[in-house]
Amino acid sequence: MEVLREKVEEEEEAEREEAAERAEWARTEKMMRPVEVRKEETTLTQEMLRDLEKKLSEIQIPISAELPAFTKDTIDISKLPVSYKTNTPKEEHLLQVADNFSRQYSHLCPDRVHLFLHPLNECEVPKFVSTTLRPTLMPYPELYNWDSCAQFVSDFLTMVPLPDPLKPPSHLYSSTTVLNYQKGNCFDFSTLLCSMLIGSGYDAYCVNGYGSLDLCHMDLTREVCPLTVKPKETVQKEEKVLPKKYTIRPPRDLCSRFEQEQEVKKQQEIRAQEKKQLREEEERLMEAEKAKPDALHGLRVHSWVLVLSGKREVPENFFIDAFTGHSYSTQDERFLGIESLWNHKNYWINMQDCWNCCKDLIFDLGDPVRWEYMLLGTDKSQLSLTEEDDSGINDEDDVENLGKEDEDKSFDMPHSWVEQIEISPEAFETRCPNGKKVIQYKRAKLEKWAPYLNSNGLVSRLTTYEDLECTNILEIKEWYQNREDMLELKHINKTTDLKTDYFKPGHPQALRVHSYKSMQPEMDRVIEFYEMARVDGLIKREETARTMTEYYQGRPDFLSYRHANFRPRVKKLALSSAESNPRPIVKITEQFFRNPAKPAEEDVAERVFLLAEERIQLRYHCRDDHITASKREFLRRTEVDSKGNKIIMTPDMCISFEVEPMEHTKKLLYQYEAMMHLKREEKLSRHQVWESELEVLEILKLREEEEAAHTLTISIYDTKRNEKSKEYREAMERVMHEEHLRQVETQLDYLAPFLAQLPPGEKLTRWQAVRLKDECLSDFKQRLINKANLIQSRFEKETQELQKKQQWYQENQVTLTPEDEDLYLSYCSQAMFRIRILEQRLNRHKELAPLKYLALEEKLYKDPRLGELQKIFA
Amino acid sequence: MNRLCDSMEPKVMDDDMLKLAVGEQGPQEEAGQLAKQEGILFKDVLSLQLDFRNILRIDNLWQFENLRKLQLDNNIIEKIEGLENLTHLVWLDLSFNNIETIEGLDTLVNLEDLSLFNNRISKIDSLDALVKLQVLSLGNNQIDNMMNIVYLRRFKCLRTLSLSGNPISEAEDYKMFICAYLPDLVYLDFRRIDDHTKELAEAKHQYSIDELKHRENLMQVRLQDERAQQEELEKHKTAFVEHLNGSFLFDSMYAEDSEGNKLSYLPGVSELLEAYKDKFVIICVNIFEYGLKQQEKRKIELDTFSECVHEAIQENQEQGKCKIAQFEEKHLSSLSAIQEESELPNIEKMILECSADVSELFNKLMMLEMQLVEQLEETINMFERNIVDMVGLFIENVQSLMAQCRDLENHHHEKLLEISISTLEKIVKGDLDEDLPDDLRALFVDKDTIVNAVGASHDIHLLKIDNREDELVTRINSWCTRLVDKIHKDEIMRNRKRVKEINQYIDHMQSELDNLEYSDILD
Repeated sequence: MEVLREKVEEEEEAEREEAAERAEWARTEKMMRPVEVRKEETTLTQEMLRDLEKKLSEIQIPISAELPAFTKDTIDISKLPVSYKTNTPKEEHLLQVADNFSRQYSHLCPDRVHLFLHPLNECEVPKFVSTTLRPTLMPYPELYNWDSCAQFVSDFLTMVPLPDPLKPPSHLYSSTTVLNYQKGNCFDFSTLLCSMLIGSGYDAYCVNGYGSLDLCHMDLTREVCPLTVKPKETVQKEEKVLPKKYTIRPPRDLCSRFEQEQEVKKQQEIRAQEKKQLREEEERLMEAEKAKPDALHGLRVHSWVLVLSGKREVPENFFIDAFTGHSYSTQDERFLGIESLWNHKNYWINMQDCWNCCKDLIFDLGDPVRWEYMLLGTDKSQLSLTEEDDSGINDEDDVENLGKEDEDKSFDMPHSWVEQIEISPEAFETRCPNGKKVIQYKRAKLEKWAPYLNSNGLVSRLTTYEDLECTNILEIKEWYQNREDMLELKHINKTTDLKTDYFKPGHPQALRVHSYKSMQPEMDRVIEFYEMARVDGLIKREETARTMTEYYQGRPDFLSYRHANFRPRVKKLALSSAESNPRPIVKITEQFFRNPAKPAEEDVAERVFLLAEERIQLRYHCRDDHITASKREFLRRTEVDSKGNKIIMTPDMCISFEVEPMEHTKKLLYQYEAMMHLKREEKLSRHQVWESELEVLEILKLREEEEAAHTLTISIYDTKRNEKSKEYREAMERVMHEEHLRQVETQLDYLAPFLAQLPPGEKLTRWQAVRLKDECLSDFKQRLINKANLIQSRFEKETQELQKKQQWYQENQVTLTPEDEDLYLSYCSQAMFRIRILEQRLNRHKELAPLKYLALEEKLYKDPRLGELQKIFA
Repeated sequence: MNRLCDSMEPKVMDDDMLKLAVGEQGPQEEAGQLAKQEGILFKDVLSLQLDFRNILRIDNLWQFENLRKLQLDNNIIEKIEGLENLTHLVWLDLSFNNIETIEGLDTLVNLEDLSLFNNRISKIDSLDALVKLQVLSLGNNQIDNMMNIVYLRRFKCLRTLSLSGNPISEAEDYKMFICAYLPDLVYLDFRRIDDHTKELAEAKHQYSIDELKHRENLMQVRLQDERAQQEELEKHKTAFVEHLNGSFLFDSMYAEDSEGNKLSYLPGVSELLEAYKDKFVIICVNIFEYGLKQQEKRKIELDTFSECVHEAIQENQEQGKCKIAQFEEKHLSSLSAIQEESELPNIEKMILECSADVSELFNKLMMLEMQLVEQLEETINMFERNIVDMVGLFIENVQSLMAQCRDLENHHHEKLLEISISTLEKIVKGDLDEDLPDDLRALFVDKDTIVNAVGASHDIHLLKIDNREDELVTRINSWCTRLVDKIHKDEIMRNRKRVKEINQYIDHMQSELDNLEYSDILD
C-alpha cells in the first residue's frame, strides 16, 4: 500500500511538473526560438549579447520560482496540532454520512463524475471539505472588503497548477500550511479566500467546477491590464436650454441647404469608409490575439469563490477568481460549469444543466430541484426565503427529505479542524512571496514589490508594450511609496522619451508634476506646482530652449502669465555657467487678470516689454459693454533737442488708442510718470525672469540630489523600521543595564572572602575583628602595589622596546626604504603614545592609591559586622 | 502762537497763492519741468499744504475736486467754510486756528482723519456725515461737558482720539469715562489703552453704559421696524395697490364725510355699516392680492426680457471681439512685413491691402451691429406688446372690482336712504323711541334735507373710490410708458455707442496706416 502510494505520488509529481513545463513552454515558446537561433550564430554583437542576456533572464525567473515543488515531503507536519492528524468521532460520522451521500448520488446519477467530498489533508487524513473552511475575521481593516481581500490572497500565494488538470486534487491542505508555504492550487486559493470572506460576513461559497484554460493557468496574457484601462469619462449630458420667451431670433441663414446636404453625404461616405477600414483592422488584430482552441475545453477543473447577494450589502451574485482576485459576473463565459459548492455549513450539488456555461444557473440554494444539499436544516430555510414563491414547494420537499434522510435529521457540520488563520504583520506587509510578484498581461507587465523592499521606494512598475510579444516597450510607469521627496509616480514614455514625475503634496519646492526629456537646464520641460503651496502663486512653468512661460493664480497683483523670449548667449562668455551669465532677454510678455477695483480702461491686461527695441506695449482690459480695448505704446528715445537740452518726453513717445478718450491721459506728465513706472516694472520683471531661471536650476539640482539619495521616510509609529527610535530604545536599555551593573558592584562585599574563613553564624570577637580588618587592608594594599608594579613593568617593557627600535633604526637608517621608514615613524609615535598613557596611569594610581586605602579603612570601620572593633575604639 | 498771528496782516487765499503752493508741492526734477511746461490743473492735485500763511478765510478751493489731503494748520481761520466741493478729502488738518464751532463738514463723507487741535471749540457737534472717521484730534480746545463723549459713540470706525488740554480732561474720571463709553477706541491722547484699563472702566460705568446701550438698542429696533414698514409700502406702491390690504380706503371714505358719520347713529345703520365695511374690505383685499400677483408676473416678464437681451448683446460682443482679435493678429504681421519691405511700390501695395482689411473689418463689425439692432428691435416690440397687454388686463380687472365697490356703495346708499326716510317719518309722527344726537336730529327737518345729506355722503364715497381707481390707472399707465420709452432709449444709446466705438477704432487704424504711409514717403 505504502509503495503504491509513493508510486502514485511520483507519477503525480511527474505529471505536475510536466503540466507546469507545458504551461511554461507555451508561454516562452515564442521567445525561446529566436534566442536559440541566435545562439547558433557565431558572431554575436555586443547588442545581441545584451539582448540575449535580458531575454534569458526573463525566461529563467518564472521557472526558477516554481522549481521547489510543493509536495507532501517538503511539508513539516510535526508542528501541526492534533486535530490535523486525527478525526474526532463526529468527523468520522460526517465522513460516513458523506460516503453514504456519495453512494446515493452515484447511484442516482451514474454518468456524473465523482464528488469532491473528503480529500486528504497534509497529514494524510481524510477531511470533509466544509470543515476545511475556517471562517476568520482578519485583524487588518484592509481585508474587510472582498475586493482588497481577494487581491491580497492573489498576491500572497503563488499559484501551482493542479496535478491533473481534469480531476480535482487528491489532497486539500489546511489554510495554515498554505499560508506557511505561500503556495497553492486553485482549491487552496479559494478555500483561503472563502474562509476570509465568510469571516468578514459575506455569503461566500467555494465552487468546484470547470473553467477555461486561461483561468486554470492564471494566464492573464490575454487580459487587458486593469491599470492601463482608462476610466471612461462620464459624458455630461448637455442640458438643452429651452429657448426663453424673448430669446432673439438667429439671423437668417443664407446658405444653400442642398449644398450642405451634399457635403454631409460626402462626409458620411468618407467616414463610413474609414470606419470600415478601422473595423477590418480591429478584426485582424482580434484574430491575432485570439487563443488557439483548447482541446480540453470544458473539462479543466477549476475552483473559485461564489458570493451571493444579501449579506454585506452585496447587490448581486458574482464570482471571484481567487488566482487573480478579479471579480466576474455569473454570466462570464470563462466559467464553464459548476459541479458542486460548499461553505462551512453545508455542501450542495448542482443539478442544473451547464450546457451554456454558467449563464442559466440560478443560485437559489434553497431550491432542492436545482441544488441537492447534503446536510439538512443548517441554514437552508434562511436561503429559501430569498424567493417566496418557492417556499411552499420547499416545505413539501422538506417533508419528503425528512423521510429520506432520517438519520441526518439532527446532524450539523462539526467545527472546523483548521486552526484560526493567522497572518503576521510582517507577512501582511510583504504580501507577495519574497515581496515580489510579476504579472504578465496582454501587452503589459506588472511588477509588484513590498514597501521598503527596494531602497528607492519602488513598489510597482507597469511596462506597456507595443506588440503582443512584449518586445517593444511603449511606456513605463513606476509607483513609489514612502519617498522623502514625495515622488509618487514616474512615467516614462519610450516613444517620445518624455519623463514625467508626479509628486504628492509636501515636496519642499511644492512640485506637483515635472515632465522633461533631460535634466539639463534650458531644455524642454514643464513643471507644475501645487496651487496654494507657493507664496508667489506659480502653478506652472514651461520651458523650451528659447522661451520660458509661467502661469500664476491668486496673486494680489493679478498677474496670470509671464512669457520670456531669450536670445542665445553671447559667445565670449560661453565658458561661464548659466548662473553667472543669464541669457539676454528679448521680450517679456505679462498678462493680468481683471482687477475689479480698477476701472477697465486703467486696468492693464497685457504688457509687452520689447527690451531690444526699448519699446513697451500695453493693452488694457475691455470694458463690459465694449468690444475694443485701449492700447498704449511707449517708445524710449534719449535724444537732445536743437538747444542741446535733453528731451524728457515728447508726444510721439507715447502712442495711445483710447476707447473713451480722457483728458488727463493726454498730458505729458501723466505719460512720463506712466513710463517711469513701467521702466521700474520692466526692471523688476527682468529680475523675476532671472530669478525663475535660477529657481529652475535649483530645482534641478535638488531633484538630482533627491534621486541620488532616494531617502525613504519612516513613520514614527513604525517601531520596527524607525532607526532613531530603535537606537534610542537600545540606548535606554544599555543605560538600564549599566545601572544594574553598578548596583551589583556597590553590593560587592569586600569582607566576604575573609569572613568565609571563619565559621559562619558566630559573632566575631574583637580579636577576630581586628585580624579581619588588618587582613583585608593588607590584602588591598598588596593589590594596589601589584597594580602599580604591573603598570611599571609594562611601562618599562614599552620603553625598552622603543629604545631597541630606535637603535635598530639608527643602525639601518641608510638602507631603509621610505615605506619602512614610514612604518618605523608610525610605530614610534604609537609607542610614545602608549608610554605616555602608561606614565599617566601610573601617576594617577600613585595619587589615588592612598586615598582608596583610606576610604576602605573608613568603610571597614563603619561596617556593622565589625561592630566589635568600633565599640572598643569608641 | 495764535495771538502772534493775530498781530500780522491776514492773507487772502487767491489764485496766485494756490498756484505757487501747487507748483512748489508738485512733481520735481524732470517731471517738474514737464509739469511747468504744461501747467497743473487744480483738479489733478491730490494733496495740498497751506500752513503758516496767515489765512483768515478758506476760499477758492472749489476747483480741487480730487483733493485727498488738505493741510490748513497754523493759520488764523475762524470758520470752517468753502470745503463743500472737496468730497474726496480723506485727511483734513485745521489745527492751530481760531475755529469756534465745528461746521461745514457735512459733505466730506470720506474723511478719515480730522485734526482740530488747538482751536476754540467748546462742543463736539455736526460731525454726523463723517461715517468713516478714524482719527479725531480735539486737544487744546474748550470742551467742558463730558456728555460730548457720548456723541462720539456713533463713529464705529473711530480708533484714535485726543482730548487733552480741554477742561474735561481735568476731571478725575476723564480717562475711565472715555474708555467706558468708547470701547472700540485704541489710542487716547496718543497713548494706547491697555486691556486692564478698559476692564476697569467698563466695570466702573457698567450701569450707565448698559442703560445707554439699552436705549440705543431700542432706537435701533424702532428704526429697523420703520424701515421694514417703509420697504413693504414701497413694494406695494410698485404694485400700485398700496393701502388696499385693509380698511384704509373705507376709512378714508368716511374721514371727510360728516353727514355719513352723523347718520351712522341712526338705528340699524351701524349694523348695516358693519356689514358694508366687511364686504368692502374683502373686495379691497382682492384687489390688493391681485395687484401683487400681477406685479410678480410683470417682474418675471421684465427679468426674462432683460436677461435675453443681455445674453444677445454679450454674444454679439464676443463675436465682435473675436473678429477684432483675428484682424489684429493679421494686421500686426502685415505691419511688420511692411516695415521690413524696402521697395516703395511693394510698400504701397501692401498698405493698400491693409487699408482694405481695415475697411473689411469695419463692414463686418457694422454688419454684426446692424444684425443685433434688427434682432433686438423685434424682441423689444414683442415685449412692448406683451407688457401693454398685461397692464391693460390688470386695469380691466381692477376696474371691474372697483365697480363692485361702487355697487356696494349704491346698495348701502339705498338702504341708508330707506332708513333715513323711515326715521324721518317716525320723527314726523313723533313715535321715535331712541334718542338721537342733536346734530343728527337737526338733519331731520324735512325730506329734502335728509335726502341731500345722504346724497352728499354717497357722493363723497363715490368720489373717493373713483379717485383711487384713477390714481391706480394713471400710475400704472405712466409706469408702462416710461418703461417702454426707457427700453427704446437704452437700445438707441447702446447702438450709438457701439457705432461710435467701431468708428473710432477704425479711424485709429486708418490713421495709423496713413502715418505709416506718410513716414515712408518722407523716408
